[in-house]
Amino acid sequence: MVTRGLHVTVMSLLIFGVALAGCAKRPATTQAAPAPTPPGPAARVEPPGAPPAVTPGPGPAALAAPGAPAAPGAPGAPGAPGRPPAAAAARPLPREFAAVPDLKDIFFDFDKYDIRPGDAKILDANATWLKANANHLVLIEGHCDERGTNEYNLALGERRAKSTMNYLVSQGVQANRITIISYGEERPQCAEKNEGCWSKNRRAHFLVKPR
Amino acid sequence: MKRKRVALAIAVLALGAVALPWSRTPAPRAQPVRQGVDVYINITGGGSKKLNIAIPEFTVTAGTDSGGVAKLLASVAGADLTFSGLFSVVAGTGSIPPNNPEALRQSWSEFATAGAHAGLHGLLALRGERLETEMRLYDLTSPDHRLIATRKFETSAAQGRRLAHKVADEVVLQFTGEAGIADTKLAYVQGPAGAKEIWMADYDGANPAAVTRNGSINLMPVWSPDARSLALTSFMQGYPDLYRLFPFERRPVQTLAAFVGINSSPSWSPDGRHLAVTLSKDGNPEIYLLTIATGTLRRLTRHAGIDTEPVWSPTGQQIAFVSDRNGSPHIFMMDTEGAGVKEITSGGFHTQPRWSPKGDTIVYTQRQGTHDLWAVNPDGSNPRRLTAGPGNNQGATWAPNARHLAFQSSRLGGWRIFAMTLDGSEPTQITLGPGEHTSPSWSPRLP
Repeated sequence: MVTRGLHVTVMSLLIFGVALAGCAKRPATTQAAPAPTPPGPAARVEPPGAPPAVTPGPGPAALAAPGAPAAPGAPGAPGAPGRPPAAAAARPLPREFAAVPDLKDIFFDFDKYDIRPGDAKILDANATWLKANANHLVLIEGHCDERGTNEYNLALGERRAKSTMNYLVSQGVQANRITIISYGEERPQCAEKNEGCWSKNRRAHFLVKPR
Repeated sequence: MKRKRVALAIAVLALGAVALPWSRTPAPRAQPVRQGVDVYINITGGGSKKLNIAIPEFTVTAGTDSGGVAKLLASVAGADLTFSGLFSVVAGTGSIPPNNPEALRQSWSEFATAGAHAGLHGLLALRGERLETEMRLYDLTSPDHRLIATRKFETSAAQGRRLAHKVADEVVLQFTGEAGIADTKLAYVQGPAGAKEIWMADYDGANPAAVTRNGSINLMPVWSPDARSLALTSFMQGYPDLYRLFPFERRPVQTLAAFVGINSSPSWSPDGRHLAVTLSKDGNPEIYLLTIATGTLRRLTRHAGIDTEPVWSPTGQQIAFVSDRNGSPHIFMMDTEGAGVKEITSGGFHTQPRWSPKGDTIVYTQRQGTHDLWAVNPDGSNPRRLTAGPGNNQGATWAPNARHLAFQSSRLGGWRIFAMTLDGSEPTQITLGPGEHTSPSWSPRLP
């Protein structure tokens, strides 16, 4: 055990050796002198403080509820300094859309975004309804189950919505009536942790609003 | 004669530092030295590789400590040093009276007898809304309890724990050459599906506070390299768009990208000027570089499959990302022009690449029934498992020291944030309280 004891000793000593090197490296703030010397300027510990988000009352735009009047520089406000030209074509607000019983959900296999043959028949019926109701815009939501990870599932849900849209367009629905949105795994309709539930969450969901 | 022997012993120590398994930072002043020098500092007691440190209650030198701050600071600094994995805190009681060298000497002698190698003594002045502390670090293995370093910090009274974190980080710096990670923040997502907000807490889970309260779905916060802002994906305007917010400032949120389709998975370039992001505006999730100041976009990937989750290498030369172009999602690599694409994992379901701040390791999530963390070298070699349950373990984020990882785990049922060292030490629970806690992002060291 002498060997082990010596090993421990050496290891511990090493730490102190490094310590001394660290001292020498930063003379402005540390002293390796044998006794405390007069204190130098204190390092100030300033922000971050408590985040403003918990402050009641009017706060940063980040705190505003959706639909609240935009402050200058808030999302969507024109001319904010440094704001990139990120806005694209006007997007209808998802909350303006509502479900109709005639449009049925379709479902997907795990980690897949191709349309299954049985679901194609559902989409055929949905396309028929949409063509008969040409005064409606449609929003296609793409959803995933909770398996996989949030970032990837956001992309996967986008692909499911896109596949669905492409199928409807192939059946004669005008592309400019269709908007898609991915919710990834963020809006499951079933919360249990089993395949029966997961299979219900891997879906494309349809909402409409009059033009 | 004595001085010479000390110098020799120190030199030996510096040489050996690089061999310490937990010290990834070579000693800054390591010098080659002769072998076979007698060990002069005889540290015994404790059979562990950790350094035993004594941290008596801080000594109040001004003001009245009615709130027990002196005790709290010693306790928090001790917890920080324990968390570092480099130190064991030697138990002891009582405080040391101010301006009493004999009491200090006596206390250190007792701690040394109890096995302490080092002593950390804090002086605390309470001045109304301000707190000031002076830390003094002693080598208890030397006969005269040599003073190794002193440093002063001050803060507002409301941020008392930060003083302890700063002190602990300085102690780690003194012994390893690299500052500790206690003065950092964790941002994360809190809430059930459909109602997720961004929260922020100290790295140890203390002081949790909401950062967003917009009632929509807020996802994937990522700290900027200057630790002043967070990039995130939010549905606050109805669609998944990219924003930047400033959690320490009363400053409006900034829209980074709000194109048709998804706007997600931001990763900051090391200089903080660019973001690698996922956009589907051109019909399919692809990776783009966004220059923040100008809004300029440069497309990096062109593939019919999913390309997402870009993450910069710390050198800014390469970008790791996730693609399902070969079937299941795997980790890929490319340069910042989108060239040199190479698959670095295979044979599974791999997402959430996270590049080590030191560049030598990529941690990712593998789904195999449940999710666990794995690590791989950037060239694709040496894939290795970091967690093996229980529950799911995913969404890793690196601490700035490249030794600790935080992640979300369902090992206790609901999602909570845990942390561990890269070598797979027993995970420590970080966040407590209600709600689901997911998608942690560990800040750089705070300014």
